Amino acid sequence: MKVDIQKITEGDESVVIRYREGNSVISRIIGILQSEGNKLWGKIDDQNVCVSFDEILYLESVDDKVFACTKDKVLRIDGSLNSFMLESDDECFFRCSKSMVLNVNRVVSLRSLSSNRIDATMEGGEHIIISRRYASEFRKLLKGGR
Amino acid sequence: MKKADKLTWWERYLTNEIGIEFKACLYFFAVLFFYCVYRIINGIFDASILHMTEMIFTCYIIGYIQVFIFGNFDEADQLRVREYLGIVICTGLYCLVSFWGKWFNREVFVTLIFAGYILVTYICVFLIYRSKRRIDDKKLNEELRLFQTEHRKKE
Repeated sequence: MKVDIQKITEGDESVVIRYREGNSVISRIIGILQSEGNKLWGKIDDQNVCVSFDEILYLESVDDKVFACTKDKVLRIDGSLNSFMLESDDECFFRCSKSMVLNVNRVVSLRSLSSNRIDATMEGGEHIIISRRYASEFRKLLKGGR
Repeated sequence: MKKADKLTWWERYLTNEIGIEFKACLYFFAVLFFYCVYRIINGIFDASILHMTEMIFTCYIIGYIQVFIFGNFDEADQLRVREYLGIVICTGLYCLVSFWGKWFNREVFVTLIFAGYILVTYICVFLIYRSKRRIDDKKLNEELRLFQTEHRKKE
């Protein structure tokens, strides 16, 4: 993709996007430009779908593919869990294991397990285990100390 | 997570080791208490250093068996077949060593009471850990509500 950047000293700032076929990258760029920074673009059966960060219950990485789960949708998204964490920059998303990120605002209840693990029950009823390695950081986050 | 935050094998080993040593101390004191009561009842007011050494080593080795073979049953979330099996086998091991080491002068009746005592100790430790987790549940959920409320206020 050719990127043409021009610095101007006068007139209105504008961005023109020219594309042959829409894809998730284009959708994301449009989303950012339209101040939809808190939205996530992904695919469900080759269709581009957008969900707000708030709707996401958790993200899971399976075989190098990342899926975002809401109450009723599962979207396949581009990038990795790390890139999502950088992009979202929201403290309500917490990396709870190597392959999962959970939305703390969508946690219904927590249960302390043996070996200092924590079982988080999500709004959809799913149980996500916060491993021992991440549990102490999670406790710090709840206390507001991260 | 940063690389520096990852646990090294040494830190993982140390975590396990500290857990097992803590366990060994806990059960050693429980066994020692029974041993001392037995001695006092029999009019003996001192304890054998050899017996105490055997006790601490037994507790330490059984601690390893508890953690690595029977899934750390006294700290388990719930007792299933494997955990019950662990309780019975570890109790049996304590009884065997006590019999071999003549902690209770090889009296079968006392050894049987000792077995019951160890079983009750295991169940009590399991219940203590469980209630500790229940208290922790309450604390965690309170903090979660607070976090969610504050986060929504910011939005």
